[in-house]
Amino acid sequence: MKKNEIAHYPEITRFIEAQLKSNFAAKGIKDIEIYWKSGELTTKIKELIEEHPEKCQCMKTYSRNMYPLNLDIFGIITNGEKFEIVILEVKLRESVGLAEWSQLLGYNVVSNAKFGLLINIDNGASSRLSAILSSDEDVSKIIRRKNHGEEMTHLLGFMQWNTITQNFEYSAMGQLWSLSALSQELIKQFI
Amino acid sequence: MDSDRAYLLGLIIGGGIWGDAEDVFRIRLPYKQWGSYESNPLRAGQISKDVMKVVSPYFRAIYGLSISYDTVTSGEWNILCEGDLTELRAELESYDIVCEGEIRKTANINNIVPALVDDNLKRRFIAGLADTIGSTKQSHRRFTDDKQMISFEINGFEYHFVCALCKLLHSIKCYPDQILWNHPNFHCGMNPYDKRWKKGFKLRVYLDQYDKFGAFAFASKATSIKQNIELESQINVAIPCEDREIKSPSMSCVHSDENSSLLPTDIRGGHYIHNKHVCAVLGCEHAPYSEVRKILCKAENYINPFPIMVKGTDNDIESIINADPLFKNRTYRQEELTISTILNSKNDSHLMWGNGINSGYPVSKIIRAIAFLIAADTGQLNGLRPKGSEEQIIISYLERNPQAKVKCNLPDILTPMYFSMNGYSVLIGPNNPNVYKNLISYDDNNTYKLKVRQIIEDDLK
Repeated sequence: MKKNEIAHYPEITRFIEAQLKSNFAAKGIKDIEIYWKSGELTTKIKELIEEHPEKCQCMKTYSRNMYPLNLDIFGIITNGEKFEIVILEVKLRESVGLAEWSQLLGYNVVSNAKFGLLINIDNGASSRLSAILSSDEDVSKIIRRKNHGEEMTHLLGFMQWNTITQNFEYSAMGQLWSLSALSQELIKQFI
Repeated sequence: MDSDRAYLLGLIIGGGIWGDAEDVFRIRLPYKQWGSYESNPLRAGQISKDVMKVVSPYFRAIYGLSISYDTVTSGEWNILCEGDLTELRAELESYDIVCEGEIRKTANINNIVPALVDDNLKRRFIAGLADTIGSTKQSHRRFTDDKQMISFEINGFEYHFVCALCKLLHSIKCYPDQILWNHPNFHCGMNPYDKRWKKGFKLRVYLDQYDKFGAFAFASKATSIKQNIELESQINVAIPCEDREIKSPSMSCVHSDENSSLLPTDIRGGHYIHNKHVCAVLGCEHAPYSEVRKILCKAENYINPFPIMVKGTDNDIESIINADPLFKNRTYRQEELTISTILNSKNDSHLMWGNGINSGYPVSKIIRAIAFLIAADTGQLNGLRPKGSEEQIIISYLERNPQAKVKCNLPDILTPMYFSMNGYSVLIGPNNPNVYKNLISYDDNNTYKLKVRQIIEDDLK
């Protein structure tokens, strides 16, 4: 029986978490925790604060000021003093295109999450999305000036999950073309 | 180091080849029949997809290299990495990997391993190696289809590389089942004159173990192991090396190339009676030392200073005898015996024509020799191997020729005897542990390194 996309969430998050933790450890950063949740962002963050107060207390202000937002999966990467959010938009489609990319972009902007990955299971991106991401790097690097003048950069990427190898296939599309690229950007936030 | 570079390093060390060109680097995938587009076009299509969808994006993004590939009908694939190789070269050199020729023949991963700071990075590195040199041919099973293996196939004589890879697998609980060392005692254990022993290393792991703890990035490999695992009716659990028992090893002859300059100095000059014996000599922390000591205590039962069995034409065997004064200066008693007489004269010790306890020529080898002679006479040879069951070859022949005879040439002292029939001969060395015990000594610097001196006539008198 073919699994639906939700059934693939655990294997995908497990793999990403292992790579991120390895890459942090390789840079000598060992006090990082990664938590995954699916569903409404603010509620789930409150849950995390209750479940892991020592590491997630730093998200309290964020959770108070955030709007409700339903997400496929999001990951919280935290050292207890600061945190980053990675949003995963996971699809199980013949191809993913601009609509799905826009959806991910919207979620990142609304949630102020710096990092987002569009993941298609066992399939790639539409030729139009591939062409846009390959030729225009601004589409995956959004620099946003907020009301109070603060600048925020959102970095996005696309990759394909291979259910046979339980591994990602990269397409070199977007700023976050690989888990190493995502790791490098995350590590910068914690150094 | 990061998780993607770890994978690429595994791939490069497994298959990387530096040539003369400044801007081209090759990764050879030695898949042979398994990867041949003639034998399995579907799999070949998958391999090409793996190269372009898995390998290409890594190289493009990390080292800025363009990837293409070529393949030939024999199943060998080459990934061609083109562009400015400066960064790749510098990275390899930072780990003391020499950027010359076939990397895995000279690689030492001792400087890479410390950078693989957790199990996941180790697994990614191993995945790169598995995608290149991890063979998943179904013939790597152990005895039956029920025990499927992945075999890491490594050319060259870098014992320490193989040992380091084995330890790396051990560290992620992926316990190797055995290592076939690239040494004459393992590749040519019966024929000391056979120079074709340089067949490479094979580090074998149960597929179930590898499936649980290892990884592949190539879908062609992952699909292949799933198909092989389906042949098993039970899950095979591997045991850590230090907890392994060593059963009585097979006897191996002292090979003329035990002193080969190709072997590393710590291995050269030694005789090895079990694959774990090599591990102990190399000083691996996982070697089952007490078990190795047990077999070394009885090593005279597992060594033979003579050929154990050499098959060939009458001329081949005659040349061997004439080349060794100890064989040449013998008086051979010739007896023409019916095959059925020989087969019926088996005794409890399974030895014949000996001169004391536990001495004589092993019946098991005599039966194999007779099977060879019959197969040669009846056109049933594949090279020097009888085609099909040896027992069946003998039975069928005796049904047709119940009085068939072979010539037995028995020397006056316990040196090798030989059988002859219709232009073919087989030389068989005797078991003689009480004498062979006197030939054994141990290296002063390594108490596990067993040495066997040459046997002389006086030893046998």
